[in-house]
Amino acid sequence: MSAVSSANMNNTVTKSTEMKNKEVSKITKKDCAELVAENQARALVYNLLSTLFAKEVTEDFVTQLTSTQGQQLLHVLAFEPTLAPSIKVLSAKLAELNSKEALLTLAADFCGLFLVAGKSSVSPYAGQYITNVDNTGSSTKAPSNTQANDNNKSEQKQTFGELHQLMMAFLQHSEMQIHRDFPEPADHIAVMLAYLAHLSTSASTEVQLSFINNYLMTWLSDFTEQVKCYDPGGFYRAVAELTFEWIKLEVSD
Amino acid sequence: MKRRNFLKAILATSFTIASTASVLTPLSALAKVGAKNRDDWLTTGSHFGAFRMKRKNGVIDQVKPFELDKYPTDMINGIKGLVYNPSRIRYPMVRLDFLLKGHKSDTRQRGDFRFVRVTWDQALTLFKQSLDEIQTNYGPSGLHAGQTGWRATGQLHSCTSHMQRAVGMHGNFVKKIGDYSTGAGQTILPYVLGSTEVYAQGTSWPLILDNANTIILWANDPYKNLQVGWNAETHESFEYLAQLKEKIKQGKIRVISIDPVATKTQNYLGCEKIYVNPQTDVALMLAIAYELYSNNLHDKEFIKAYSLGFDRFVPYLTGAEDGIAKDVLWAEKITGVPSDVIKALAKTMVSGRTQLLMGWCIQRQQHGEQPYWMAAVLATMIGQIGLPGGGISYGHHYSSIGVPSSGAAAPGAFPRNLDEGQTPLFNNEDFKGASSTIPVARWVDAILEPGKVIDANGAKVTYPDIKMMVFSGNNPWSHHQDRNRMKQAFHKLECVVSIDINWTATCRFSDIVLPACTTMERNDIDIYGSYANRGVLAMQKMVEPLYDSLSDYEIFTRFAKILGKEKEYTRGMSEFDWLKKLYNDCKADNDGKFVMPEFEQFWQDGYVHFGDGEPWTRHADFREDPEINPLGTPSGMIEIHSRKIERYQYDDCKGHPIWMEKKERSHGGPGSDKHPIWMQSCHPNKRLHSQMCESQEYRQTYAIQNREPVYLNPEDAKHRGIKNGDVVRVFNDRGQLLAGAVVSNNFPKGVIRIEEGAWYGPVGNDGSVNGGTEIGALCSYGDPNTLTLDIGSSKLAQACSAYTCLVDYEKFTGKLPAVSSFNGPLEIGV
Repeated sequence: MSAVSSANMNNTVTKSTEMKNKEVSKITKKDCAELVAENQARALVYNLLSTLFAKEVTEDFVTQLTSTQGQQLLHVLAFEPTLAPSIKVLSAKLAELNSKEALLTLAADFCGLFLVAGKSSVSPYAGQYITNVDNTGSSTKAPSNTQANDNNKSEQKQTFGELHQLMMAFLQHSEMQIHRDFPEPADHIAVMLAYLAHLSTSASTEVQLSFINNYLMTWLSDFTEQVKCYDPGGFYRAVAELTFEWIKLEVSD
Repeated sequence: MKRRNFLKAILATSFTIASTASVLTPLSALAKVGAKNRDDWLTTGSHFGAFRMKRKNGVIDQVKPFELDKYPTDMINGIKGLVYNPSRIRYPMVRLDFLLKGHKSDTRQRGDFRFVRVTWDQALTLFKQSLDEIQTNYGPSGLHAGQTGWRATGQLHSCTSHMQRAVGMHGNFVKKIGDYSTGAGQTILPYVLGSTEVYAQGTSWPLILDNANTIILWANDPYKNLQVGWNAETHESFEYLAQLKEKIKQGKIRVISIDPVATKTQNYLGCEKIYVNPQTDVALMLAIAYELYSNNLHDKEFIKAYSLGFDRFVPYLTGAEDGIAKDVLWAEKITGVPSDVIKALAKTMVSGRTQLLMGWCIQRQQHGEQPYWMAAVLATMIGQIGLPGGGISYGHHYSSIGVPSSGAAAPGAFPRNLDEGQTPLFNNEDFKGASSTIPVARWVDAILEPGKVIDANGAKVTYPDIKMMVFSGNNPWSHHQDRNRMKQAFHKLECVVSIDINWTATCRFSDIVLPACTTMERNDIDIYGSYANRGVLAMQKMVEPLYDSLSDYEIFTRFAKILGKEKEYTRGMSEFDWLKKLYNDCKADNDGKFVMPEFEQFWQDGYVHFGDGEPWTRHADFREDPEINPLGTPSGMIEIHSRKIERYQYDDCKGHPIWMEKKERSHGGPGSDKHPIWMQSCHPNKRLHSQMCESQEYRQTYAIQNREPVYLNPEDAKHRGIKNGDVVRVFNDRGQLLAGAVVSNNFPKGVIRIEEGAWYGPVGNDGSVNGGTEIGALCSYGDPNTLTLDIGSSKLAQACSAYTCLVDYEKFTGKLPAVSSFNGPLEIGV
């Protein structure tokens, strides 16, 4: 992650805009331009991942990802050794998406994984994995629902819970809202990734790191494990792994 | 590569994602101001009670009982779980193979295969095309859209009305007659007492409490069953049950509960109890009748003045006809009730005023017509029908029956049928010789054996060749018997459509699944106080429909639009126009009798209260003058013997009530050597049938190891090495299920209870597949209809016989499968 500030880690999102302005003023113009470009790149990746989790892959999206720019993007992403394996699978799977039937099969994979609750599905909602959101904004892992084969997996929690409320508050502070064509709780992974895309170009590193550590790293590994376990086609396994590895890169830098 | 360079390289690819594709948008000007965060308590209602709700940031936060409900049930704690349920149907979905191959799809995949999300427009168009195909190829007998049930409350959005009006605008279809709760009772009683009795207002509780010396609760558990009602329930009956408890304590009223199990009511009232072997109630009633007759204790004058056919019944009773006197010794062997207890009971019944209050359980069994008929005979012999605190009732455990009616007119409902002059798109009434109406519980038979002719209520029913079914707010994969037959039947259906809130098993066995929203996500209107009609309740929308769900009104308005009949469907009125109309029509009907404010005032207040009703005695008018106020029977009298039924010449329902052995019966009856345990699948204590089973946190207040409880007799359980909290496998030749053991003295030897409405969640024998297609698959949660018998009660009612069911059980020692009942569709290994 491109370091901008060394301010304390407990800043809330409320202060983000103010913080950013203050910190940015300290650095040079060149740095600033580079920083903007880097953050745009990060936002792009977050948006790409968000889109993949938000809805089924469309013909247009396949076209876009298999275009020259799309291929170049995947090629570049594969420069990172930890991203390379999932990018390789993703590229291969994309190449197979050349018929309506293949897209429908992938749509069925998506539906079975993310649009229903069940034994072979994976909840896209953070609230199913993490609980006990306290006032300082940190969260802890829920005791169950963590093992891919957990017998209690069908005993999921109510949706639109604390995490949804918290994300709604974050969005409100950032003057963002969920698109009306996406009628999902705010703790949906696609919302969280899109929110990170937004933070990438608008908030301090601390705020971003704090969000990732508290609200993504706490459950993303469980989520990824479950997708790996239940995805029948392999496409979403690659998407989940790519997401997890990307986030890991973000916090490790 | 350095991180910075890596990021730069990403940007250099010039790959972009359109901002319109994002799930986030800048906050709209409207939202910036902040949507008015209503913190007032809105009003709504449900089968479980009327209540008020408060929201926090657009999410339902608190729920409290409606202030006029003094005895709310704790099921209110499950309401939030109905809305924010992980098993909500989030989007319209179509089974993948059906989407690809339509009516030629592999139907054996149902219950076990994959779905894809579609838009509402796609889903409804596909629905319409399927109806086109059925009407074109088979005509109306190919479509059954009449299997309807308990729905959610609300007069405007009532899902049955919407589905049947909309599908009816497309074409005609097969419908049902009767219901799973009272099929035998509501068929036999019109012959005997002239009305269904089960769905009729009964003698008011205050009169019963003032006049009865003895109350007989026969297979009746009002303290459990009055928690839920057909409309918004406000639980006034519980005040009377509290008074009854006090009167028992003071020795002013004797209450005798006749039941195989110790009911919730028995334990609450602290009343007397008589144990009877399951399914043998008719034998006990006959012995009481014999005792009254042989001791000349029956009311001969009443019998003569108000009934018909006693003389035809007596030779059977005494044994003059068949050589078997139905005396106390004869009954003792069958019923397990000691002869002296029967004698004393008979004497008690004719000492002072005796009110018989019958439950519905005993007619949900093979020959279920007989106990209801025989109970009416008994009441006739006692001679107190039409007197306050005397006679017989078949409904005091249901929907506030017995609470004095306000007498006010209730709001009407959105029309279920087409308006006069409207015709369906496929205006074809040719059912090809098949019946257009079939007994409710016989639809699976019809699918399996189309063209078969059966007897039903004096007529011949020819089973239609059903190719498509439409279910709305109806979950037959909970309430119908024998899952194996259902699986076979569903393989024969070309198309199944299900409109519901959650992924019920019925949805998983469907091809097109459409998400309806809950009552909390729409505006509606209802009465409260069920049969007593205490007032009109505003059902105010708490939150917008979740995900892509829609109200029933909206779903079928869109469907009607595809038919080109939107205007016809809605009569050009919006949801709110309809609410106002239903209210204003009700206001007009009550004009001069009950004061109702303008709609706007009503909506703001949340309700209009009609006040207390006047106490009333059932059949008092008939008793006063049977000539002027005859019953609705053929003779106008109570028919102890029915010439009409006798003429049907049924071997399983003759001219008067008789004792008949059952296909399966515990305690020494047929089949008890192999499966010695009788399974009672009564109405649940913490659900309305299958409604609210999905409310997870609330379910955890009664589930055992995530399973439905099975209530066991301590001695039987010990014999099988089972203790409280164990997982038990219950089985017979029809199926098997897992349930959580609750060992309780409330249950006698040879009896278990698993409440109906436990959601079906089959798992395959090898544990790796879902079991949706497997015959005999293990139900992972504990749906008792995995085990029940799918036969008609008799040739008369052809009603559900779920209570004729023998099983055995053992401690489950295998690897415990996860509960799959509350899942969406599962995939088979690909």
